[in-house]
Amino acid sequence: MSVINFKTNIYDYLETLPIFTFQRLFQKPATCLAIFRLLPAIGRQIVMSILYVENPIPLKDIQSWVYKDGHKKLQEALHKLSKLHILEETPEKGLIVNSTFRLEFKNALSGGGEHQSFGLPCATVDKHKVDIAFLDHFASTQWEAILHYMVGTTMTKRPSRGVLNLLQKSDLMNANASESGLHITNKGFQFLLQDVNTQVWAFLLQYLDMAEMLKMDLVEVLNFLFQLGSLELGQDYSVETLTDTQQQMLEDLGDYGIVYRRKKGSRRFYPTRLATTLTSGTSALVTSLSKKETGTAASSAMIAAAEESHDEGGFLILETNYRVYAYTESPLQIAVLNLFIQLKSRFPNMVSGVITRESVRNAFLNGITADQIISYLQTHAHPQMRKRAPLLPLTVVDQIRLWEMERNRIEDKAAYLYKDFNVQADFDAAEKYAKDLDVLLWSNSKQRKMVIAQEAHETLRTYIKRRLAGNRDTG
Amino acid sequence: MLDTATSEDDTNLLVAIVDTNPLAWQQSATAKIPLSLDDAIRQILLFFNAHMALKHDNKVAAIASHIGHCKFLYPVTDAETHRRQANPSKIAKDANAYPNFKDVNDDIIESLRSLMADTDTPQKNLNDGTSMISGALSMALCYINRITNQDDLGRIKPRILVISVSPDSPYQYISIMNAVFSAQKMSIPIDVCKLYGGEVAFLQQASHITGGVYLDVENPQALLQYLLFSFLPERYARNYICLPNKEQVDFRAACFCHKRIIDIGYVCSVCLSIFCSWSPVCSTCRTKFAFRALPPLAGKGRPAISRTASPAPSTAASPGSSSPMSTA
Repeated sequence: MSVINFKTNIYDYLETLPIFTFQRLFQKPATCLAIFRLLPAIGRQIVMSILYVENPIPLKDIQSWVYKDGHKKLQEALHKLSKLHILEETPEKGLIVNSTFRLEFKNALSGGGEHQSFGLPCATVDKHKVDIAFLDHFASTQWEAILHYMVGTTMTKRPSRGVLNLLQKSDLMNANASESGLHITNKGFQFLLQDVNTQVWAFLLQYLDMAEMLKMDLVEVLNFLFQLGSLELGQDYSVETLTDTQQQMLEDLGDYGIVYRRKKGSRRFYPTRLATTLTSGTSALVTSLSKKETGTAASSAMIAAAEESHDEGGFLILETNYRVYAYTESPLQIAVLNLFIQLKSRFPNMVSGVITRESVRNAFLNGITADQIISYLQTHAHPQMRKRAPLLPLTVVDQIRLWEMERNRIEDKAAYLYKDFNVQADFDAAEKYAKDLDVLLWSNSKQRKMVIAQEAHETLRTYIKRRLAGNRDTG
Repeated sequence: MLDTATSEDDTNLLVAIVDTNPLAWQQSATAKIPLSLDDAIRQILLFFNAHMALKHDNKVAAIASHIGHCKFLYPVTDAETHRRQANPSKIAKDANAYPNFKDVNDDIIESLRSLMADTDTPQKNLNDGTSMISGALSMALCYINRITNQDDLGRIKPRILVISVSPDSPYQYISIMNAVFSAQKMSIPIDVCKLYGGEVAFLQQASHITGGVYLDVENPQALLQYLLFSFLPERYARNYICLPNKEQVDFRAACFCHKRIIDIGYVCSVCLSIFCSWSPVCSTCRTKFAFRALPPLAGKGRPAISRTASPAPSTAASPGSSSPMSTA
């Protein structure tokens, strides 16, 4: 079963946008700043180094700024910079910062310009002022209502139509013909195991896709999302500077718990913690990047991601004997744990359970992968667990991976069987040819049989035919 | 050399020590390539913003090293914040500036203004009109120590940047060096950006010992570019990016007795204090040296007459030096 790749990474999404969109995105300093922070460390430094340089810089010069063992990283960074259209290549092999980006990013640094992109705080005092605790409560109830709905606990109110629609569009839940309500999908199970920041981004990216369909202006939507990331928690902002599209978005974002408005049509809104950490927590980025890397690098990145969400407060203790103690009373967390843990006992403030082969296999059947389970355990590890290195007991981590591999013992491939070679030499030549092409799946020299991947069948057949014909001619 | 303790996810704490010595800035503003304090601060603030732009949780702190004393420019004390917030003109916020940047910039400008207003009243001890670099370094180290202690996960990576305009003050040699060695022990790099004035041997040594960047700014007008290019890279990026440092470091020390910078001197064999001239008693540790400055050759085999130590290495060796254990 293949891992369904969540388009969680805003960076991947941005990459797909045309240059024209970028030119418009760059007009807002808040957006420039947010995009800039998506870059790798070396890339950020390069941009800063040449931001105030008006002339193109030869690529060779930039390469000379970096030590030899950093060249790979530099290459990566430059590639990303050009993909995001921040760096442009001039005909004379020089690199220069995109002029719009340069201007607006300078504005972001110096606080100049007349762009109003960082949100306008309300001039007057709110009569119904709310505090940060209230906002946090609001955000978590709204967001958890969605998650609750997904796991099927019935204690919270049903999310709004817009949310349901989004859940269905994003394939996290689908309508079941036999039952009336929506049903969670494999992708939905995977979604539940992500950390909140990743979940929010996954939701918002889906929202972006929908926005295109609803004929909303993509640039305005993105600008607003990036603006939200730069706002201050607990401050009320005026809707005056927002465009019509963005005001429309406010309503939807209120449903997700990302912004708070006292009532529809209110002249002010409060960003919640979900909004203000949108662009700050790199956790969403880190985990998705780590999939490309391998081994130790990946695990360290995941630990970093786990630490990123430290403020969420971990509650899980995992022991070497596969026992799990979870200090939580949230039905949602318990429901999520139930996906891959066999729960044994329940107390007022904690539940305990065991990770068994059976429970983990159930999770696999739901489309959850071992990596997702492990990263969930890491993300939510109790602060006491965090003091140890490695974070999770290795035996348990390895065993979960092994259980996953168990399920992948057989893989099938379409193939062709070649047999009945008359001459050993012909077989050997054909076998070697297939090996060189890297299409040989299996061969037995004694029986003169071999199996070739389907796609190489034509090439190999013509090769053998030619060889046989050649033999006949000479012999 | 790879610094494996750093990673891309670190929070970077930049503690900047800005030399605000008005006398030195006065000279700098009238130099061949002039740079006034106002212009410099404007560029330095932009540099701070750039540092905070790099990462959401990057932190900055600024300390003014003034004549005779030093003061935190940012962060300011809670009482100060309240006082400023009471001032209604501060509340006006605008949507054109990133709030994080604006708060820091406003605070620093406000602190500088009050610092400069205080300076007009004559100071009592204007010891030769030099900046309080040593005090500022100690404050920076204390601040860093406090911040890193609060951070259990050890993800805050601090560094110090000294923006210097005034010459060395040999009077502060000992305290500067103590601060530098503490920084080395805590593995905090000290970067030095020298804008104006002659050689600053102590700061050169500081950046050399702690593995920081040292840069002599040739064109002070372009300060921002220098800062962005050489001093912005965080500790993780420094593993990969080539940065300037001083090839020839001035290792000269100041003597403890007259605070003169010397090439050759006398070193106390007990406490390693440095003196420019020979004296019978070490003024630091009160060790009595043997009186004979130049050793008679015949004195070699003889045991030390008195149980005293000798002013050791430099050029002269006294009879006592044959039995170094006989120090008082």
